[in-house]
Amino acid sequence: MEMIDRYIYAVTQKLPQSQREEIAIELRGLIEDMLEERVGNREINKKDMESVLLELGSPREMANKYRGTKRYLIGPELYDSFLIVLKIVLISMTAGLGIVFVIETIINPVEILDHFVGLIVSLVTAVPQALGWVTISFAIADYYGGIKTKDLGLDKTWHPSMLSAVPDPKRRIKRSEPIVSIIFYVIVMVLFAFSSNFFGVYVFNDGGFREVVPFLNEDTFSQFMPFVLLLLAIFIVKESIKLISGKWTMKLVGYTVVINLLGIMVVSFLITGDAFWNPEFMSDLVHAGIVTEGSEGYQIGESIWENSTRIIVILFLVGLVWDTIDGFIKARKR
Amino acid sequence: MLNEQEHIDKLMLELRRGTITIGVLSQLSIPQYGYSLVTILNEKGVQVEPGTLYPLLRRLEKQGLLESLWDTNEARPRKYYKLSEMGTEVYEQLCKEWESMVASLNHLIHTGKGEEDGND
Repeated sequence: MEMIDRYIYAVTQKLPQSQREEIAIELRGLIEDMLEERVGNREINKKDMESVLLELGSPREMANKYRGTKRYLIGPELYDSFLIVLKIVLISMTAGLGIVFVIETIINPVEILDHFVGLIVSLVTAVPQALGWVTISFAIADYYGGIKTKDLGLDKTWHPSMLSAVPDPKRRIKRSEPIVSIIFYVIVMVLFAFSSNFFGVYVFNDGGFREVVPFLNEDTFSQFMPFVLLLLAIFIVKESIKLISGKWTMKLVGYTVVINLLGIMVVSFLITGDAFWNPEFMSDLVHAGIVTEGSEGYQIGESIWENSTRIIVILFLVGLVWDTIDGFIKARKR
Repeated sequence: MLNEQEHIDKLMLELRRGTITIGVLSQLSIPQYGYSLVTILNEKGVQVEPGTLYPLLRRLEKQGLLESLWDTNEARPRKYYKLSEMGTEVYEQLCKEWESMVASLNHLIHTGKGEEDGND
């Protein structure tokens, strides 16, 4: 009978004090009834007891059934607001950290790497924390059940007349587009932050990597880096807004215009100056043994290199202008 | 991915969960204790495990649909449950709902095939 005592103890221990005694009596009665049915007049052996307890299931499952059906941390009532709050918290926190980073960098541009590492470290530690706190708060709110969606005022004022029009499929922004863009910008950002040397012609010989002939001027790049990173950060913000909005609106086009204009200005300023590009690029290429001076390849390379500034600016302009016009056209569709 | 049988099992579990309450209420116009109810229901073809039924009885009691009484005269103390006044009314209403649900579904099942473009 000891096994039964243990079972009952294991179940009731997981239940509120007030119910334990009664459930214990009830369970004991049940187990004895089940044993009796199985065994009849025969002596009860260990095997019988085991099979009865197995049929009842583990004490944890049993206790869960007695406790009721609640087996979630945050119920459907609160889940939507949980998601909204979580998004806002994460986005604003990230933005805050980003602003700190930008200010630090403006004050002390030389240590941008440290600042950036600091930003990453902050993000890595802060994101799980924010996630944790929001979740814990909502779990507590759910546990005590005091706060319902209605009380948060999310549903109270709702009226069918407030429904916004279903966006035309052409006005919708596919979630994947901004997400892919953000990932791309972040990667570029990280690359830039760690070294301008990642951008260049990779030279291999004898199957091994030898060197990179950088596109950018290493000596002056540290001056430009804050602007490049800031620009990328602003583009990320733009994509985040697109992601949240989910559809093209005139307001969104407005943001896009402002951000793209800023982008065009920064890029024109950076790229057209001599100091941005590696002034030794062609001779570096010769040095690396890719082309020989005076050959046809050298001339082609040189003309591409010299025109690239203009080409990149033009491509960039076209891209940004297109982004704006595209948004405008889509926003106008009703 | 679930295979066919697993889908059926899962759906049956959901179906059964909803119907057990009606089954339980139907048998409690006379007082029963937990295990006697398990036996009765299983004899009548309604599969229910004690581990499900006992908590369910307590819940229905807490909701006021059942009343309980401890019988301590027998060899082991037993808690007898029976329908409360409200429980009786709820049960009768549930039966009506059930009948109409069965009728509607039967109608759907039997007329569903081959009449897709019925008179509209």
